[in-house]
Amino acid sequence: MFQNFRLAMAWVHTWFGLFLGFVLMVVFFFGSLSVFDREIDRWAIPESRFEPQPMPSFDEILKPVFEDMQPSRESVDQMRSRVDGPMPEHFDTPVRWGAYTTHRDPVLGLFAGYQVPNANNPDELVWGTRTIDPRTGESLPDDQLKIGSRFFYPLHYSLNLHWKDLGYWIVGLAALIMLVALVTGVIMHRKLFRELFTFRPKKSNQRSILDLHNLTGVVALPFHFMFAFTGLVIFAGIYFPVTHTQLEPLHDLHEVVESQETGLPHERSGVAAPIASVDAMVAEAQRRWAARDMAGDVGFLALQHVGDANGYVSIYRAGTDRIALTGEGIHFKASTGEVLREDPPPSTVERIDEFLTGLHLQHFRHWLLRWLYVLGGLTGCACIATGFLFFVEKRKRQHAKRGQIGSRVVDALAVTTVTGMLIATLGILIANRLLPVNLPARGDWEQYCFWGVWGLAMAHAFWRTAPVALGKLAPAWREQCWAIAVLAVVAVVLNWVTTGDHLLKTLSAGYWPVAGVDLFMLVSALVAVFTARRLQRRPRPQSADGSELSGEAAHA
Amino acid sequence: MSTAIVSRTQLLSRIAAALLGGYVLAWGFIALGVAAAFAAGMPFHDAEHLFSLLAFLLYLVTFLWSFAARDPRRVWLVLAGGGALMAVLASLIQHALV
Repeated sequence: MFQNFRLAMAWVHTWFGLFLGFVLMVVFFFGSLSVFDREIDRWAIPESRFEPQPMPSFDEILKPVFEDMQPSRESVDQMRSRVDGPMPEHFDTPVRWGAYTTHRDPVLGLFAGYQVPNANNPDELVWGTRTIDPRTGESLPDDQLKIGSRFFYPLHYSLNLHWKDLGYWIVGLAALIMLVALVTGVIMHRKLFRELFTFRPKKSNQRSILDLHNLTGVVALPFHFMFAFTGLVIFAGIYFPVTHTQLEPLHDLHEVVESQETGLPHERSGVAAPIASVDAMVAEAQRRWAARDMAGDVGFLALQHVGDANGYVSIYRAGTDRIALTGEGIHFKASTGEVLREDPPPSTVERIDEFLTGLHLQHFRHWLLRWLYVLGGLTGCACIATGFLFFVEKRKRQHAKRGQIGSRVVDALAVTTVTGMLIATLGILIANRLLPVNLPARGDWEQYCFWGVWGLAMAHAFWRTAPVALGKLAPAWREQCWAIAVLAVVAVVLNWVTTGDHLLKTLSAGYWPVAGVDLFMLVSALVAVFTARRLQRRPRPQSADGSELSGEAAHA
Repeated sequence: MSTAIVSRTQLLSRIAAALLGGYVLAWGFIALGVAAAFAAGMPFHDAEHLFSLLAFLLYLVTFLWSFAARDPRRVWLVLAGGGALMAVLASLIQHALV
């Protein structure tokens, strides 16, 4: 079918890269933003602009909040069809309480799961969540959207498309194709090492675009490969649910054995029991971590079988001091505070797995490395975007001659996913500052604004790429760059006007979460202006058929 | 490549083999790997992690092979056939254990 191996690989690279590239662009960009998801949350929720807090006292702060919690209306409504009879007004049997924080969180997220009387599946719970100020225990309004950690971050791995987990599968396929594109890309280009140092911005557009595509692909190749690969590994259970389908019986067999080994009760006993001091248990856990010479901040605290004699408390460490995603969990009997179990040291396979997931999820405390992650992610975006541009540049004159619209459509989609995505991102931040504070379901409206703005950018992209069909440059790129510049400045100004936190103030106070987001947007505005001005200049003359190109460029 | 006569059905068959055939093979590989390693005394979660990690690399290789191989029928035979065979073996091992 293909003339040779290299051409087969080039075909795979071009076409799979093109189709999944649009998804990959979203994944890479919002992945890059997710590195600072907690900081974006601070920008979006002005009430939460204070210093990160440690896990507060359970006995004094958390316990009263948990006791006051109830499942959310949505969770109860979703459960309704799987219950015999009516739902209770009040849920009295909490099964699980949990609190999770990181070294970057000023506010604390809590969740609670409740047993449902007469549920078809008694193990299925209804859930409630709450966000509190850990200094006082006061609750923050429930419908404030954490734009960083609850919108951009899930967009990165699920496209926020939850119907039948479709988004996860699309992103998973895109990650596989990223691996494929990297390998085929290397196979296509024999002179890999030379390309590390090749960038000829003064040559033809098509040539310099390809140089940039190769450069960004090759320089960050290990980064791109590791992220696509570890991303797949993290969700392996979703993509290959072997042990929850075909091998379910084997899994159950192992679970029984495991709960015998760990000594942590699988079920409630039915006998009520009070909760002993959890603060004392935390102190004991921290003493044990310190004895092993490990940082002792609590990251995750959970109570299982709350209020029952079989109840236990699990305390996990926040892994701020290493790459591997570890917890070194210690489990206590809830009613007495005696230690039931200390998680054993991980096996070799677990170590590898914890390292790979930790590498991707970065719970460690290292700001320089965090910025390198952003840089790596944006390099990935540049690689994908130049891939689109090269596809269009290479074909547009041919298509124009033959009256085909292929390259115009690709260019319009490229504008949508590159500049259009940035406009949508700024759109949700601007909506966040402009929508009335008391608007019901405000967070939903912010999301509608995001998708609405992106839709408009797409319409504009299809409209203003018409010249591509004539073999010319699309004005859509330039115009959307101007839009980015204007919107970025507007967002920064709106932050100032609505919260009083202008850059001089946040910088002099050293409040980096907000100052960083503002600065990042201003730098984006500068880059956008620079790009728009460059695009405004007349394009350099090029040979009509691209005959100056040779070698691998002609195959790609 | 423009000179090569690319048959549309052949191309679709290769794409399907790369995506679906590769998935079936990776599935079978995980199933057999977990069942066999567990039977041989490896902790369950270790086996689960190890073989799904390797399965993604296998998927990557078979994906490329689907386009590089000369005969697409052989691709289908190895991927779907091999995957099904491994899955059946996995179930047999499970049956013996549970």
